[in-house]
Amino acid sequence: MLESFEILDTSGVVLWSKSYAPVGAHVVNSLISDVFIEEKAQIQGPNSTSPTFRKEKYTLKWKRVKEFNLIFVAVYQSILQLGWIDKLLDNIATLYIDLYKDQLRSTRARIVQYPFDKYFDQQVRELEGSSGFVASESSVANAFDKKDPLVSSDNGGPPPPSVSSLIKAQQQAALGGVVTSDEGTPPQTPEISRSTTPVAGHILTAKLGPGGRMSRRGRKATNSSANASSGDEKGRKDKTPKSGKKMRRWDADGFADEDDGRVLDYSAPADAEGAQVPAVEAVSEDSWGRRTGKGQFVLKDLGDEVHSILENAESEKSKGAASSGLVGSGFNAIGGLLRNIVGGKVLTEADLEKPLKTMEDHLLKKNVAREAAVRLCDGVKRELVGKKTANFQSVDAALRLAMESSLRKILTPTSSLDLLREIDAVTSPTTKQATPRPYVISIVGVNGVGKSTNLGKICYFLLQNNYRVLIAACDTFRSGAVEQLRVHARNLKELSQRETAGEVELYEKGYGKDAANVAKDAVEYGAANKFDVVLIDTAGRRHNDQRLMSSLEKFAKFAQPDKIFMVGEALVGTDSVMQARNFNQAFGTGRNLDGFIISKCDTVGDMVGTLVSMVHATGIPIVFLGVGQHYGDLRGLSVPWAVNLLMK
Amino acid sequence: MRSHGDWVSLEGIATSLLDGSPIAIAITVFIAFGLPVLLHLLFYRTVASPPSSNFLLLGPNGAGKTALLTLLEAKSSPARTDIRVTHTSQTSTAATISLPASVPTASNRYRSVNDTSLKDIAKNPVKYRLMDTPGHGKLRESQAISQLLSMSASKDAKSKLRGVLYMVDTAVLANPEILRDTANYLYDVLLILQRRALSGGKKAASGVPVLVAANKQDLFTALPPGSVREKLEDEISRLRSSRSKNLLDASVDAGLADGEDDILGSSDPHDRFSFQSLKDEVGIVVDVVGGAVMGDEESNLGSGVRKWEEWIGQCL
Repeated sequence: MLESFEILDTSGVVLWSKSYAPVGAHVVNSLISDVFIEEKAQIQGPNSTSPTFRKEKYTLKWKRVKEFNLIFVAVYQSILQLGWIDKLLDNIATLYIDLYKDQLRSTRARIVQYPFDKYFDQQVRELEGSSGFVASESSVANAFDKKDPLVSSDNGGPPPPSVSSLIKAQQQAALGGVVTSDEGTPPQTPEISRSTTPVAGHILTAKLGPGGRMSRRGRKATNSSANASSGDEKGRKDKTPKSGKKMRRWDADGFADEDDGRVLDYSAPADAEGAQVPAVEAVSEDSWGRRTGKGQFVLKDLGDEVHSILENAESEKSKGAASSGLVGSGFNAIGGLLRNIVGGKVLTEADLEKPLKTMEDHLLKKNVAREAAVRLCDGVKRELVGKKTANFQSVDAALRLAMESSLRKILTPTSSLDLLREIDAVTSPTTKQATPRPYVISIVGVNGVGKSTNLGKICYFLLQNNYRVLIAACDTFRSGAVEQLRVHARNLKELSQRETAGEVELYEKGYGKDAANVAKDAVEYGAANKFDVVLIDTAGRRHNDQRLMSSLEKFAKFAQPDKIFMVGEALVGTDSVMQARNFNQAFGTGRNLDGFIISKCDTVGDMVGTLVSMVHATGIPIVFLGVGQHYGDLRGLSVPWAVNLLMK
Repeated sequence: MRSHGDWVSLEGIATSLLDGSPIAIAITVFIAFGLPVLLHLLFYRTVASPPSSNFLLLGPNGAGKTALLTLLEAKSSPARTDIRVTHTSQTSTAATISLPASVPTASNRYRSVNDTSLKDIAKNPVKYRLMDTPGHGKLRESQAISQLLSMSASKDAKSKLRGVLYMVDTAVLANPEILRDTANYLYDVLLILQRRALSGGKKAASGVPVLVAANKQDLFTALPPGSVREKLEDEISRLRSSRSKNLLDASVDAGLADGEDDILGSSDPHDRFSFQSLKDEVGIVVDVVGGAVMGDEESNLGSGVRKWEEWIGQCL
């Protein structure tokens, strides 16, 4: 069963919602932040279905309508397989926009009340029903109506669920009325008036329910019926005599002959009595049928409205697709050209195809991995299709703007990356519960990307901020790795003494040992000797070598690093995506990378596409950039700078 | 000379227009009276002039910015509506909100409550524009900060920034992670305002005031406003020292840097930061006022935001 359904706009205001069970606001919030803002989870269903998102025990399906900046979200339990949700989302979106497009365009869109419940209920009932046991209540009722007005009045037409017992009673009364009419004691008039009673009853219940438009229609129906039966009041007044008549019928059992005679009379007087009675009957039956068609089934009426709206939207869509006549296409082409210059053009996929291809090539030239470039372009396309360009804005300019903003969005980190602040928080905590301990940073990466060099740079940066740094040589594999770090440590020690900055020490255990154990010992040593930061260097490993990568999980468990940075070089092209992804998954469940250091940025000029590829693959921010050979050549990432280079 | 024009030649038309025929008089009258009305309808009806005082609503994700905006919007609409549920925003929105008549503005704060002219205000309430921004980390830079920059830099009176409301979720502020994020954002905002105030030269007196709206005071875990102030000051002090030592951006090498090396408040990063010193040295007034968007009784809608409205009133 559906848990809740919400219609919200992009500014975060819920315009209309209906919930069948309480669903925490955080479920939809996480959908927005994960899917729409961070674009972490981009799960595309097969073509026709809406995308899905899972959170806790819920599955969310949504549909975006860009023209009105609306998002339709349906939340249901993951264990249920609800096939009709896609259809529901489509129909509700079409209906809602069709009904309220004026309100949505106005500035008061966020305050206006949207009495949408009845339409939603109707849709849910219909779609649920169509997948369930009944075809569709309204259609069944329709069939009944057409068969015979009398039968339908007998059945009462399967009324919507909210039928109270009162109406049932009234229906029984109506049945009684029919029985009496069979016996035909009085002429037809009381029967007619009685037959209106259940109708009025139905209308009344409908009025109690959703109200508004329907009730107006209902009233109209009763008014139209009034000419035949002189109003429902009379019908209701007739109730008391009706019961009396029943009594009389039972009494009249004794006069069976008379009764039979009357019944026989019933067909005969119709002919015999002449024009008067048949005329009344004809009129009454007509209005009756109309009444049962309209008045009795108010919800079916709503269904008609809903269906007509949906059908209109459908036909318009097909018309839009079909309108490619010769004249039309020529006119459209000229208009399109003009609009391209003047702006105000509604973008279609065809408009965007060529510029997007150019944009993709441009990104590929900037060394963005193909996968990332395609995904970026798809994202931009999804954002732009159906949008209107601004005044005097060409398609290319609109595309460029969208691409820039989407690049900016990708590269901007979710939370600020103030490493010094975080180190301070760990080494000298403000709360009393936490005990000071060293901040552990470990550095991983593929062979030869510059792990040790960047470790040296970070160490230098920390030393300048007067931290006591311990370097742990956990590359126990490659010959010369420990010696290399020793040289770094010696240089840095000398530099720090000259500048009277922090202190640095090297923790080494030689070659051949298990790296995870060495790291663990180093952290313990650092804690015992009051170091502020422990920097752990690891051996380089190929990201697709299962054996080497699997040891990282143990490493993460033993050393418990606060931050794991991966070094990636700016030179690498398409492989960067797989590198980032594999390293991100190597630390076991619940532990990911915390950031990237992109080295050798000075060697690629403006081809800094690796930045985008790596972040795109994992959603993990870039912390540092290596921009030279010296200890001081470490920089933070400036998003405008990177976007500028990429779009140049 | 023809006494009547023939409406065919140019001269004919001119003649008939000038000879005082009833048609000509009718046309003249129509144009003379109709044109101004038409122009009025064209220019003044379609574009309602937006109020000239702007306020910006900033703050981290989940602090209650959109909720506040919808609450104020619902309050200022004539038809009482229920308060809408809100979710994470993706785009910024602006809304025109009228200040309740009972809230005094800066211009009439010395008036007596019995002053009859206050009744006029009730009929025609003061209006201002409140801009809601998304608080999510990825959207801050592109939407909130850029909005703040453009609004604070604009010379145009129409889009001039009168004040900044910085929403803080006091219920979760005890969490160091959230405190750091909140302070970081506030630091960025204040730094931009400081840069503006200092570069403004003599006009520095018109520093944009900031209200730290300590939201969710109705919750059990909420910190009182005084404590919020203290915590933010402490955290900003720490931020100042770490920011002053941090790495340069990559843009420095590319020559795009714009003098980022200034820090908030006094020039010595080791001094303790306080909002008071910021007021003395830079001229930016920061108030911390508690309130609650949600959790007020049914009868009086938005009683929890009364103090913030008073603050807004003082800025007008």
